[in-house]
Amino acid sequence: MSQAFEIMQWPLLACLLLPGLLVYLGLQIIRREIIFVDLALAQVAALGSSIGILMHFEPLSWQNYLLSLGFTLIGAAVFTFTRNENHRVPQEALIGIVYVVAAATGILVLSNNTEGNEELRRSLIGDVLLVSPRQVFCTFALYVVAAVAHYIFRKQFLALSFHPENASQISVRTWDFVFYAIFGWVVTSFVQIGGVLLVFSYLIIPAICANYLAQKLATLLLTGWIIATLASLAGLYTSYKFDLPTGAAIVCMLALFLIACMTLGVFVHKKRVD
Amino acid sequence: MQISHVLPLLCSIALAATTAHAKLNVVASTPDLGALASAIGSNHIELTVLAKPTEDPHFVDAKPSFKVKLMRADVLIEGGADLETGWIPPLVDDSRNNKIQSGQPGRVIAAEGISLLEIPATLDRSKGDIHAAGNPHFMSDPANGRIVAAHICEVFCKLDAGSAGFYKANLKTFTDLLDAKMKEWKATMTPLQGSSVVSYHDSWPYFAKEFGLKMDLFLEPKPGIPPTPAHLAQVIAEMKEKKIRVIIVQAYQNRKIAETVAGHTGAAALDFPLFPGYNQSYIDWIDSLVKSLSSTLNK
Repeated sequence: MSQAFEIMQWPLLACLLLPGLLVYLGLQIIRREIIFVDLALAQVAALGSSIGILMHFEPLSWQNYLLSLGFTLIGAAVFTFTRNENHRVPQEALIGIVYVVAAATGILVLSNNTEGNEELRRSLIGDVLLVSPRQVFCTFALYVVAAVAHYIFRKQFLALSFHPENASQISVRTWDFVFYAIFGWVVTSFVQIGGVLLVFSYLIIPAICANYLAQKLATLLLTGWIIATLASLAGLYTSYKFDLPTGAAIVCMLALFLIACMTLGVFVHKKRVD
Repeated sequence: MQISHVLPLLCSIALAATTAHAKLNVVASTPDLGALASAIGSNHIELTVLAKPTEDPHFVDAKPSFKVKLMRADVLIEGGADLETGWIPPLVDDSRNNKIQSGQPGRVIAAEGISLLEIPATLDRSKGDIHAAGNPHFMSDPANGRIVAAHICEVFCKLDAGSAGFYKANLKTFTDLLDAKMKEWKATMTPLQGSSVVSYHDSWPYFAKEFGLKMDLFLEPKPGIPPTPAHLAQVIAEMKEKKIRVIIVQAYQNRKIAETVAGHTGAAALDFPLFPGYNQSYIDWIDSLVKSLSSTLNK
């Protein structure tokens, strides 16, 4: 067991510290019904980093990081202005379009560059197993800043996500942009560590599980955190025990927890009806 | 218990610990290097090969067992020349194992001592996956295999002096067999000298050079860049013109493309493994390459 800990200590720390904020943001984007916005923003960020590679910046250099951050902010602006009341054009459709177009543009941009393949693959799968202590602490520091911002301005953010009809007294566009900007930054930082699949799973699956079992924000959040933590522990252990790719093992473990919560949810719901 | 009683006991334990021979923990990045390490080290080493025989050596996904093996490794053998540059350095950094850091005797870079082909005069990324140090797929030339085997033997002897005689004897057995087989392979390939073979990726310049084949036409427009329609049309035209009959392809490459081109030109798409299979020796691997290629070319 001590060896398991030695091998898995940094992935473990990453998977215990970082999903906390992701679960919270996940609850909000589920309520906003923009589930795929994280994939779209991650893809836009990857496009920025692809363009960086074309400009001969190293994949993990600060220039590349700034480029992907810049692209994320552009994506955030696009989503701010496409949140509209025109129900014939659902925002989810526009999000999907941004995702595929960013992906296709990335393929075009990198079609003449060989490091591209590696980069596209890495952004999908990530490398949570080999995460460095520095990466964990830097990302955690960023998450603390983002969490503090979300705490200070919770009234505005929660109103936009949970009660958009009462949000008329605040500047919707401004706060929407701030929300997407922080969200994009949080997501793309985690993509560097865990890849797109893992970040999507941490955002959505615990939040969906919680919605099966609870209703109030505080209990939703607590349930989501417990599920994310348990699934991380179980996923990391499975990966170690059976020597499986770590990120994929955690994703599948989260899916098992989802099935358990759906089943449990049936009983909880029945009890409430009774 | 008195000290006079304990002392002999301790001594005998210490003695037992040194005589019970500790095996060298050897990790090889790719199966060809693993096959050589196994030929030299045999049962005196504990060998782990990271990449699977069918895996692209440029990209290998890390698994928890890799971390365990590298933490405990006494020797890490890698091809070098940028072949594993995408995945070995992060693993080594992560292992925090001093024995296998670069510059240590336990870190074996097989490319050292090999005269590499295709060293670019100027480094320009627009030319694709050009490796600055030269083409890293040098193990397909048995003459290079011979050099690398001697290199590995030297390192094993240094790190495990107690078994040096054993390693040297194994090297001699290996080299003698390789030299004998080399004559056979040359005899098989000499009549085919000058034959053109199309390859998916530029992975075989050393094999081609050793056996007098022409391999300057590739399905990839530039190394590492997926085939494009215009480039394939050009390859097809050139194959027809020169009557090239064989396209060699590896398991991790897109076989469908090779088969399509083969269909247009009447050529055969030949599986040509870049590495020895599980439990296949280095010499058996080269042997199978020579046999399958010569029989296809002779058809």
